[in-house]
Amino acid sequence: MAGVSLRSIIKRYGALQVVHGIDLEVAEQEFVVLVGPSGCGKSTTLRMIAGLEDISEGELSIDGRFMNRVAPKDRDVAMVFQNYALYPHLNVADNMAFGLRIRRMPKDQIATTISETAEILGLTDYLDRRPADLSGGQRQRVAMGRAIVRHPKVFLFDEPLSNLDAKLRTQMRAEIKRLHNRLGVTSIYVTHDQVEAMTLADRIVVMNDGRIEQVGTPMELFNNPVNTFVAGFLGSPPMNQVKGVLTETGARIGGMDVSLNGAINGHAGRDVIVGIRPEHVMLEPGDATSSLPIELDLVEPLGSEALLHARFGQDNMVFKADTNGEIAHLSGVKQVHVPADLIKLFDAETGRALELGA
Amino acid sequence: MVDQTSSPPKVRTDEALKTDRLTRTLDHFRREWQIYAMLLPTIIWFVVFLYKPMYGLQIAFKDYSIFRGVQGSPWIGLEHFQTLFANDSFIRAVRNTITISFYNLLFGFPAPIILALMFNEILHATYKRTAQTIVYLPHFISSVIIAGIVITAFSPTVGVINTVLGWLGMDSIYFLTQPEWFRPIFVGTGIWQEAGFGSIVFLAAIAGVNPSLYESAVVDGANRWQMMWKITIPSILPTILIMLIIRIGNVMEVSFELVILLYQPATYETADVVNTWVYRQGLQSGQYDLAAAAGLFNAVVAFVLVMTANTLSRRFSRTSLW
Amino acid sequence: MLNWNLYSRGDKFFAIVVSVMIGMFTAATLYPFIYIAAVSFSSGFAAQAGKVVLPPIDATLEAYGYIIGDPKFWISYRNTFIYTIGGTLMSLAFIIPGAYALSRPQLKGRRFFNLFIAFTMWFNAGLIPFFLNMRDLNLLDSMFGIILAFAVNAFNIILLRNFFEAIPRSFEEAARMDGANDFQVLWKVFIPLSKPAIATITLFCIVSRWNGFFWAMVLLQSEDKIPLQVFLRHTIATLSDNDEFAIVQTDAGFSAETVTAAIIVCSIIPVLIVYPFIQKYFEKGILLGGVKE
Repeated sequence: MAGVSLRSIIKRYGALQVVHGIDLEVAEQEFVVLVGPSGCGKSTTLRMIAGLEDISEGELSIDGRFMNRVAPKDRDVAMVFQNYALYPHLNVADNMAFGLRIRRMPKDQIATTISETAEILGLTDYLDRRPADLSGGQRQRVAMGRAIVRHPKVFLFDEPLSNLDAKLRTQMRAEIKRLHNRLGVTSIYVTHDQVEAMTLADRIVVMNDGRIEQVGTPMELFNNPVNTFVAGFLGSPPMNQVKGVLTETGARIGGMDVSLNGAINGHAGRDVIVGIRPEHVMLEPGDATSSLPIELDLVEPLGSEALLHARFGQDNMVFKADTNGEIAHLSGVKQVHVPADLIKLFDAETGRALELGA
Repeated sequence: MVDQTSSPPKVRTDEALKTDRLTRTLDHFRREWQIYAMLLPTIIWFVVFLYKPMYGLQIAFKDYSIFRGVQGSPWIGLEHFQTLFANDSFIRAVRNTITISFYNLLFGFPAPIILALMFNEILHATYKRTAQTIVYLPHFISSVIIAGIVITAFSPTVGVINTVLGWLGMDSIYFLTQPEWFRPIFVGTGIWQEAGFGSIVFLAAIAGVNPSLYESAVVDGANRWQMMWKITIPSILPTILIMLIIRIGNVMEVSFELVILLYQPATYETADVVNTWVYRQGLQSGQYDLAAAAGLFNAVVAFVLVMTANTLSRRFSRTSLW
Repeated sequence: MLNWNLYSRGDKFFAIVVSVMIGMFTAATLYPFIYIAAVSFSSGFAAQAGKVVLPPIDATLEAYGYIIGDPKFWISYRNTFIYTIGGTLMSLAFIIPGAYALSRPQLKGRRFFNLFIAFTMWFNAGLIPFFLNMRDLNLLDSMFGIILAFAVNAFNIILLRNFFEAIPRSFEEAARMDGANDFQVLWKVFIPLSKPAIATITLFCIVSRWNGFFWAMVLLQSEDKIPLQVFLRHTIATLSDNDEFAIVQTDAGFSAETVTAAIIVCSIIPVLIVYPFIQKYFEKGILLGGVKE
């Protein structure tokens, strides 16, 4: 099975260590996204998998084979680069055929592979164009085509969409997803864009500062972030994080008590960070909700919904709400309601998620 | 859940580190041998044609004879250098080199700057392009041809210069045999050949000046003359400085090919430079060791000047076009 | 920015004065070439009398007839072509792979090798050791010696290396992942991507080979190996050293001067043919070469 396995991978440049021991198992056919802020080591990790960077320590295996000392070309992986690296002097067909020719694939076989792939990517009409005569989206497709024709065991994507404008990016994102569903090739995808990560990934790996913060399906990470970093990184807008303190019955934030789902069990008095997702706030009270008085200061309509920017005590908070109720006219002090079971708690000092007793 | 605090580094023995480094190095050469293979011919070429002669420079300190070869010849210390500095014709060649370079600098350095500033004022694109094409051309002409042209033009019988002097009622002058005429002709020829080509660097620097500076000057009511002095020249000053430093660094490099082609015994007095002296003593008279000593002297002075110039220009280059 | 209609009267005057001065300098640059051409087409007698100023006097092709009939002219012309083509190809064969290797960050000792090469721009052993070395290598009076010994120079390598360094790393990486080795990366990716820089260097090589004279004069003894420039030099030397030659030839309708001028014209013509192609590149080329070390 063409899985990828990283064990305690470390990367050093001289004395400077930039990746501090990555452990990751990517299953066959899985689509894994490495996401994190710039400089978090995600690209370096990807390049180590590709063989473009030496692995300082640790073990990499692809398809069960130890790969640390194998040259990139023999790893049977293909990569899509951020700037596409399309050869400007070759047309689309020759760009895609480049790797096949180097590997001395028979001519007729190259021709069929190219035309099949062009068909999949909708590039059939552009095969004899040079990259300079293509739109951004078409170039992106050629870059993927060049990877696909090789039928590699693993696809590596290094921020492939970051050179496209917002609209094309959404479109290409869907295409990559469709392609993966169709070809079922194990894929590792690096991005700094959490929306890309959420939409594409079977599993997301959130990285920060050369370490993995959390690994899980998009919904696991969204619903149960292990720390404030993950909570703040995923979701748009990100989770509101408000300083508070645990009481006997719940938590106290901004002078208000909110009830929590679970027993405090003697932790009362502990400093915490209370996390409330913008999506989880309700304008009408429901079952087991706590009300919070907020002062609206800005409403940003987005069409089907709106972002409400509000002040709550010392903190700024952002909520998301449906626009059915003419929200644009809302102003002043309002009561909003948060369901107890959706409130997240983090340790104020370590930032790690806290689980309350049953 | 991942621990936020960094794990303590694993203890690794020196031995393990050493073998690790060895396998890595071996891996590196196994994987990347091709770039070393590509570099090898060039390195061998440099060794054989440029570094081996440097080794051969030791004959400057030896009593060299062809039969004993570079290594077999006996050492004689600084004797050749003593001979050199007691030799009037060598001292004269050093002085001529510096004098000719000084004139080259004085008249030859400003010429391309002035030319570039003037090109910058020309609005008609085709006129400018054509003029540039023509003034760059002499740079690509060989020194033999240049010398041929100069010899013909300044010839006492054929030469157009003397024809014109004749129109003015003056006697014809055999320019190339007159020591006092050698330097003006040589420096003038240099300007004719290189001023146009030299202006390219300054034109590039001028092209790099932010156009909004000129626009705001226009709004402020400045005229072209003022803009040239207040905007263009200050903006390209770093480039001018660097080029000047480089020129000073190359003081020992008088284009001796052209000197060989233009001088004759009658003009040695003002024309003979170090390299032509070396050429005559070494290649024509066969005094290889003495000539090599003179060449070494020249090379060392040039090296010190060039390195000083490099250091200085690097200091300025942050603000320049490079 | 530069708009004639918006110029003040003073600015217009300034621009006109500058245009006239440029025109004069350009004419002064061009004149010697026209003058030499005129001499070459004039009769030897008219040239001797110093009558040629602008147009040819007593126009004749006899000087050309004389050199065309001289087998030494043709041999030297052929030799120049051999040196130019052979030398340029030899240069590229060294410079392109060398510059590629030096541009690769994975090359160990890269700093040392770059310094090793750049050092030769600053320090030169000089004429004598170079000459003796050529003799030791048995390359005196050898056409191959000329072609090989002047194949490489630090400036051209550094120029191309800088260009290669500016090519995004991902081009190499993509090719490597596609299975290309370094030779293939260079041949199939870097060379096609560097056409302008390689053209610049090729043209620099062609020009310096075509014009090369000093070392050909020093190293070559056989008359059948000398290039055109050395042949021209011999003719000029005859002209300035031996006035009898000139006098003897006067009756024939050409003189040593007109013959020299005719050889000069024949030698410049190929440069003029290549020149438009060079011009496209050399302005960029000299700026490229000015970067680092």
